[in-house]
Amino acid sequence: MKGAVKEVLDAHERLLIDQAIAKHGNRPGALLGILEAVQSANAHKYLSMVSLRYIADETGVPPARIYSAATFYALFNLDPQGDNVVCVCRGTACHTRGSRDLLEKLCLDLGLSEHEAGETGEADKLALTTPDHKFTVRTVACFGQCALAPVVEVNHHILSHVNERTLQREVKALTKNGGGGK
Amino acid sequence: MSNPLPNKTISVRIDGELVTAHEGQTILEAARANGKQIPTLCYLKGLSAVGACRVCVVELAGTDRLLPACTTPIQDGMSIKTTSAKLTLYRRMAVELLLVERNHICSSCVSNSHCELQSMAQSLGITHVRYSYNNPRLQVDMSHPRFVLDHNRCILCTRCVRVCAEVEGANVWEVASRGIYSRIVSDLKDDWGHAHNCTGCGKCVQACPTGALAEKGQSVHEMVKQGDAVTRLATQRAGQASGAH
Repeated sequence: MKGAVKEVLDAHERLLIDQAIAKHGNRPGALLGILEAVQSANAHKYLSMVSLRYIADETGVPPARIYSAATFYALFNLDPQGDNVVCVCRGTACHTRGSRDLLEKLCLDLGLSEHEAGETGEADKLALTTPDHKFTVRTVACFGQCALAPVVEVNHHILSHVNERTLQREVKALTKNGGGGK
Repeated sequence: MSNPLPNKTISVRIDGELVTAHEGQTILEAARANGKQIPTLCYLKGLSAVGACRVCVVELAGTDRLLPACTTPIQDGMSIKTTSAKLTLYRRMAVELLLVERNHICSSCVSNSHCELQSMAQSLGITHVRYSYNNPRLQVDMSHPRFVLDHNRCILCTRCVRVCAEVEGANVWEVASRGIYSRIVSDLKDDWGHAHNCTGCGKCVQACPTGALAEKGQSVHEMVKQGDAVTRLATQRAGQASGAH
């Protein structure tokens, strides 16, 4: 089985994982650093099952513990992410300033269903990706920018006092540019 | 685990009675050593204590907070109450919330009448649940040749996680996700039957307090667990480990 794992994982990605493991060594708590490095090196910013299995094989950390850590932290994605990440704040201040409507409108525009996430879809940790992998819509509990509510983060850039029209314009601009998000 | 130095004897009050305990013991261990019963659910002797179920809470004189007996170290001069109306209220609430979270239907359960959750509910006098049920749609993993995992009956006590890591050393089980989405998973959420680490020893099944982990081929109320076998094994192993020094 170990051989089969290495067949699926391409050489470049395996090298990146090896480097991450070598960098963080065997000190306690290294797992989070390794997972973070592997995810950010990935083209679609996610942790594939083969890479998790490879990390387990190489570090000797039980696979169940790796899966547990990867699912506990909202930072880690187990599914490929879109080129552009739009993150809608669902904190109290943003909620009272209409972030639910923003989220619903955004999902509608991108053809995503808030309810399609199914059993694993967590209301507090929404992450939906369009089928063409152009956009990922996420929610977050709070950005700490409540005075600017409602807040939407587009490709790690915070937009304040967002309304449906500004958000729509932003999404349209990204669609036109073909998505150069990082 | 066992301290080579003889532990200092301390005196504490449990339910008004003056008893002796040893330093380093938890409240639960001291109480049980003195014949006092404190109900537990996630605690299994021989495994590490996590204080997850909150059924073993006790009252300590001088503080308003209830303390979990399984993880609180006992100290000289403590005065502890193991039964009171307040404790029953909180214990009942803890068990009711466990019942609400999954689909616990005793009449169709392999562990009916041998279930620690069921007997706990009965002993606390829970005749009905005051909260609304979550009714989640959950899977049953039948992929293992000998055992079944039914998430509907799991209370996330993590006894299986601990027995697998601490006694068997296979680390098959872990809790994935968070909050009400927490699930017991084997390896990378693989089907149990395809979990490479699993040795098929069945200790998790014996440690499980409910019918969540069961042997295949058991019908309603046929699954009798041997949690004490796990305790015996763990104690023997701890004894061997300390004797090797």
